[in-house]
Amino acid sequence: MRLVFLIVVIAVSMTVLAALQATTPPYAMLTGPIRTEGRQGETVSGTVFSAQIRQVQKAKTLAWDQFGRAVERQSSGTWVIVSAELQAMRETMPVRGATIIGTSGRLYHQSQRAQAAPNVLSAKTVQPGLPTTGIYIFEMPKEETRDMTLLLSRQYGPQLEDELAITLEQNGIVLREKMELGKNGI
Amino acid sequence: MLKPISRKTNKAMLTKLLAGIGGLLAAAISLGYSLYEKRQAEIIPQVAIATPVDAGRWKVSLSAGVIGGEMPNGSHIAPGKQVVAIDMVLENLSAESSNIYRDLIRLQNIPNAPKPQFYLMRDKDILWDMQPMMPEAVKAVWQVPADLTLPKELKVKVEGEKFKPRDNLYAAPGWFSAGSVAQVTLPLAPAPAPIPAAEAKP
Repeated sequence: MRLVFLIVVIAVSMTVLAALQATTPPYAMLTGPIRTEGRQGETVSGTVFSAQIRQVQKAKTLAWDQFGRAVERQSSGTWVIVSAELQAMRETMPVRGATIIGTSGRLYHQSQRAQAAPNVLSAKTVQPGLPTTGIYIFEMPKEETRDMTLLLSRQYGPQLEDELAITLEQNGIVLREKMELGKNGI
Repeated sequence: MLKPISRKTNKAMLTKLLAGIGGLLAAAISLGYSLYEKRQAEIIPQVAIATPVDAGRWKVSLSAGVIGGEMPNGSHIAPGKQVVAIDMVLENLSAESSNIYRDLIRLQNIPNAPKPQFYLMRDKDILWDMQPMMPEAVKAVWQVPADLTLPKELKVKVEGEKFKPRDNLYAAPGWFSAGSVAQVTLPLAPAPAPIPAAEAKP
């Protein structure tokens, strides 16, 4: 009788412990970003910064002037150019982490191939009270651009920090052959 | 009076014996498993040139080895150094943009080879992030001492990585080393001489 009782107690405690272990949120989730969701066109506010996405453009070729020299960047997929207005609420801060979640759920960081383009937001810092406009440039396969969500944060891999998740509109995006990036954005 | 004592000592003996056997068995299994793993790890498949190799996080097909020539972006070569390069097509199979490809390829028959610098041939510039599902022609460049006699064939190992949805420390997803997945032997050809600018334009 005692033996049966012992076995039952052990089995029950093993089940409880296994359930506790299986349902414990992982560290990465506990210390993950604080996400605020929104749509393109509206001002999406986190706790320390806000963003408004104005336009999304697609192009096969990007062109800009760098130190008086014309630079062109081709892609086997497509360039996605997102123009945004950022506002910091408390302190001077950069907004360097910009990622697009593609149709398949893959994460596309900003393209480093176009970081030297003019007016790129990740090269700027945002001062509180001064709305800052600029662009983010992504390179992704065409089939990934059917459904896009933009993630913005101070740095990549934010932990217990703001992350804005903004759904990008599909209407009105045309794929251009070539896009000239000037000092005044797109 | 005597009997219970001897039963007790017998029981104690038996417990000790069982514990001893258990320990020895555990040690034997652990040793056998590590020997087996080591033997398994030594068998690395030989792959032909220009065959795509699935290395977990990356898919790579090595096409040619080149000695000498210039850096792809025109930067100067350090004095006393020469260039060994491998042309390849590289694709990011993971779900996120990544620039962690420097340990993907290891030269076997060049001693103390440094880590290579990767160049994107589309831009003739340094390669940064590789975007998922976008294969690109890439050149990996090693700068080795100029007085080093280079072999006729370059023996290369492709290092694999495997994905763990929860790692052992933080239960966070990540990529971890999974040992070599393929070996490729590439003939080393001298780089074609650069075409002088005056001749290039008719």
